[in-house]
Amino acid sequence: MHEPNSWRVSSRRIIMTLGLSGALMGPASLAMAQDVASDDLKPAIISLKASKSLLLDIEQAGQRLVAVGSRGHIVYSDDQGGNWLQAPAPTRQLLTAVDFVDERNGWAVGHDSLILHSSDGGESWAVQYRDPEIDAPDDEGFGFLEKPLMDVWFRDTRTGFAVGAYGLFLRTEDGGQTWEDVSFDIDNPDGFHYNALTVVKDTGLFLVGEMGTMYRSADFGDTWETLTDMPYDGSWFGVAGTGEPGVVLAWGLRGNMFRSTDFGESWEQVELLTPNNGELEATLSGGQLAADGRLIVVGTGGVVVVSDDHGRSFQVTVRPDRVALANAFGLQDGSIVLVGQRGAVKADGKGMSAAGGTALTLPVPTAEEE
Amino acid sequence: MSKHHQETAPLVERVIFNNRLIMLLIFAALTIFFGFQATQVRPVTSFEKMIPLEHPYIVNMIEHQDDMGNLGNSIRIAVAIEDGDIFSTEYMETLKRINDEVFFLPGVDRANLRSLWTPNVRWTEVTEYGFDGGPVASKPAYLTAEDLEELRVNILKSGEIGRLVANNFKSTIIDVPLQESYPNPENQSEQIRLDYGEFSRLLEEKIRSEFQNENPNISIHIIGFAKKVGDLIDGIIKVVMFFGAALLITFVLLLIFTRCLKSSLTTLVCSVIAVIWQLGLLRTMGFGLDPYSILVPFLVFAIGISHGVQIINAMAIEYAGADDAYTAARRAFRSLYIPGIVALVSDGVGFVTLLLIEIEVIRELGIAASVGVGVIILTNLMLLPILMSYIGIGKGAVQRNRDMVSRPQKLWQSISGFAHPAVAPISVVLAILGFAFGIYYGKNVEIGDLDPGAPELRADSRYNLDNDFIIRNYSTSSDVLVVMVSTPPEMCSAYETMEAIDQLEWRMSNLAGVQSAVSLVTVAKQVIMGNNEGSLKWQALSRNQDNLNTAISRAPEGMFNASCSLAPVMIFLNDHKADTLTRATAAVEEFAEEYNTENITFKLAAGNAGIEAATNVVIEKSQLKMLLTVYAVVILMCLVTFRSIRAVLCIIIPLALTSVLANALMAFLGIGVKVATLPVIALGVGIGVDYGIYIYSRLETYLRQGMPLQEAYYETLKTTGKAVTFTGFTLAIGVATWIFSAIKFQADMGILLTFMFLWNMFGALWLLPALARFLLRPDKMRN
Repeated sequence: MHEPNSWRVSSRRIIMTLGLSGALMGPASLAMAQDVASDDLKPAIISLKASKSLLLDIEQAGQRLVAVGSRGHIVYSDDQGGNWLQAPAPTRQLLTAVDFVDERNGWAVGHDSLILHSSDGGESWAVQYRDPEIDAPDDEGFGFLEKPLMDVWFRDTRTGFAVGAYGLFLRTEDGGQTWEDVSFDIDNPDGFHYNALTVVKDTGLFLVGEMGTMYRSADFGDTWETLTDMPYDGSWFGVAGTGEPGVVLAWGLRGNMFRSTDFGESWEQVELLTPNNGELEATLSGGQLAADGRLIVVGTGGVVVVSDDHGRSFQVTVRPDRVALANAFGLQDGSIVLVGQRGAVKADGKGMSAAGGTALTLPVPTAEEE
Repeated sequence: MSKHHQETAPLVERVIFNNRLIMLLIFAALTIFFGFQATQVRPVTSFEKMIPLEHPYIVNMIEHQDDMGNLGNSIRIAVAIEDGDIFSTEYMETLKRINDEVFFLPGVDRANLRSLWTPNVRWTEVTEYGFDGGPVASKPAYLTAEDLEELRVNILKSGEIGRLVANNFKSTIIDVPLQESYPNPENQSEQIRLDYGEFSRLLEEKIRSEFQNENPNISIHIIGFAKKVGDLIDGIIKVVMFFGAALLITFVLLLIFTRCLKSSLTTLVCSVIAVIWQLGLLRTMGFGLDPYSILVPFLVFAIGISHGVQIINAMAIEYAGADDAYTAARRAFRSLYIPGIVALVSDGVGFVTLLLIEIEVIRELGIAASVGVGVIILTNLMLLPILMSYIGIGKGAVQRNRDMVSRPQKLWQSISGFAHPAVAPISVVLAILGFAFGIYYGKNVEIGDLDPGAPELRADSRYNLDNDFIIRNYSTSSDVLVVMVSTPPEMCSAYETMEAIDQLEWRMSNLAGVQSAVSLVTVAKQVIMGNNEGSLKWQALSRNQDNLNTAISRAPEGMFNASCSLAPVMIFLNDHKADTLTRATAAVEEFAEEYNTENITFKLAAGNAGIEAATNVVIEKSQLKMLLTVYAVVILMCLVTFRSIRAVLCIIIPLALTSVLANALMAFLGIGVKVATLPVIALGVGIGVDYGIYIYSRLETYLRQGMPLQEAYYETLKTTGKAVTFTGFTLAIGVATWIFSAIKFQADMGILLTFMFLWNMFGALWLLPALARFLLRPDKMRN
């Protein structure tokens, strides 16, 4: 019953080698004239459903939680995920990631190479960069590649990096005033997607993407090395440092999770078993290191995996709602805020939510109303 | 109004009574002809007739009907297990057999049938190697625990929970798309139109009864347009039984009233002849009996009886000075044919105002009812006196009547007190209070249907219970507003189009009363995510046209048309209350204003909610127009007859009080103004005016003779009071039987008409004399 879908990847490989890389090269060497193409941008609709519909990433800005997701929704909570407010945002595009460098300055990225900036802890946002154009097809008729950004990380308030599909890599040196396409800083001739970027304590940056691709930077983003000896050839959707120097955890399709203690030189598979001791088959999407050292990774089908030992072993929970989860944030009191298909949800330390306590319950019978 | 008191016989009377035999022969011949026609009348429920075809929403819907394919015309069969859950051999086997049985029902679009057992219900999963997927039911049978566990996993991966599989895993749905017409199995080149009544019967017989009887642990719940129509047709047939009941009760009342078997039977026969003619004419004009027009025979019968009773009553009185039945009948005819015709014509003209409403069933109801009252003029104002001139009234009845006229009567005496100068002001004050209360409380009346589910049927009907079951156990709503997004060919999947649809979906999703919105965009986002290894970060529209084209190619049928020039957006609503509908359609219209371009047009509306929204608009618009027209007509008729504005006020004010109070009653009972209740206003006013006309015309006669008001009123009551009260009860009984109809709107009509008929009678007896006290000048009327 396998229906291999490799046509997409292989055809893109052809495109990239045939000359699309040339198209990327054009703007690559230029510092972008930062006249943001934002005329056709419509501000996000302020909606009571904003915190209950697709959210993809969650971050902390001081004591505040900030989450981003579909339709330009940026929501923040000042009570550890109990109540959410929607911040006005200048776009209705899907936002994929958010990063705060301090309690005030944060950046959110998304489709159309959109980069938004907030300097007030997530309450208001402005467009810094946007590139909705898709690359024109080359002579062969292939192409039309979009440029969604998938992750963002700031070294400090001035220097930051944004990574995206088809090998897109952007860098700023002025807090996002100008962004430069530095895709050729990374050796990725086939233009594989970059899916996630993380900092590894005292060691450097680690970047993962599709088809098992991995990249590392020992100088926190200035120079990059493409790893050739990868433990797995499926896509990586997430990566996290574990809080220990040199230790990296990466995960992706079908419950695959690997751990390296030597900054990616060698890898060891982390065994994830479902509560009834079956092998975890769900895709793992996002996750991160909590302030208290816990590692929390989530996936499709309501999967929440939590490690208390820096990623050596995980306890797997499958939520009864089976909702697709995108990311999670571990709170100081041990509980977790999950984000995903149905927005932000408070959960206990295992990832379970009290019945009726959140939005993440199955549809309630409407009979009582009548 | 003075002519009918002259002794010289008017022309009509001479024509009729000098050629009695010829008249009878003509009547007999016509009755045989119409009788034959009447047997050919069939129940029909044409969907198109129930909707306002001229409303722009409906025009749009019909324009794009073919583009949306079978979208919506499907039935859903939920097969539920009481003990245990669907993960059992017993359940899966039963489901398979039901699935097979449904597959072979005529009219089922077999290729698109969906259930756990059909191969088109699949699970998918993203792996390192691409998509992995397969049919949910991968085994020929589910015998072992491992098999059932695999089924559970496949269902979880299929995303069908809440759609095909109940949220509580205790039932699953067989989704059965229907074909409006299908090839004849015997002769493939011939197309058969799907007979909803027959299809619904097959469902009951071959699916529901069969499997529920076989295994009491299994219960079957069926919803869908075809089933609803089938149930409506059943309801129509049952209503026919009520006719028998109305007939019987009326006969008993007639006997009590006339104390004469001969005249009771004759009146009954004449009224039945009126019904036969009416049905025969209906058939001759090419109409069938729909759930609305089936009520007309009841009305015709009741109106016929009430006019017949007037004739019998008058005859009994005329016997006093007549030698034989012939003379009595002739005099009765003479004294009654003018007020009778005026009353019937005003009924008929009142019904004709229904033609103002742009909904075919209401128009046909108006035509049928007008034809019916027209027929009564012939059968009960002409045929009945002719017949009675032969038959005569029993001596006992005549004697009794004579006694009553000569002797003082306590009841009429006390009722005539309403004309007393001390009582009249109290009555008028009460009436003013009644108006105030009615207008105040009646403000709460809502437009449209208010009950959940299928409002045509009762809340506790099988259909609505099934509907409730499915809404409770699945993530679905039965109230869908469809917006049609129209583009040039091949443009439905353009980024520009899809982006605009996406904006519409979200704007609507945020509207109070809207649950969710679904279109090809919803599907496309999921497919694009799937094509990107299921990564949530790709759950967005692609600016790459190839990606969008690939994505929509996986959308289910009906999400866009063959030429990709139309894409429906389905907006699921909490309910179909007028407020919800107005808010939703207003929001879509505002959106269209903003987003319509040269290429993209957002058009309202299809789906049951779209149709109801259009219907509500038409009804709200027509309500006042119809009310004003029917009153204008009735006022004009009275004015022409009585040539006095004061007379008109005496007759119309009690009528208006009834209308106002009926409105309050609707608010109290939660009955909205809708296709079914709108005609009630016209019927109630049109028929209700009869009482006033009969009472006033008598009253006027006595006042002209120089009697003071109260005495004149007492004499009026003595001669016509009994007939008027009898009429009120006959009419009320005719319509009161509908209250027990399985069809909710018939019951609503029954309640309202019963109220209006009784209250109109009461109003005429009570308020008319009180108003007369203030408005009439007996001294000036004396001639």
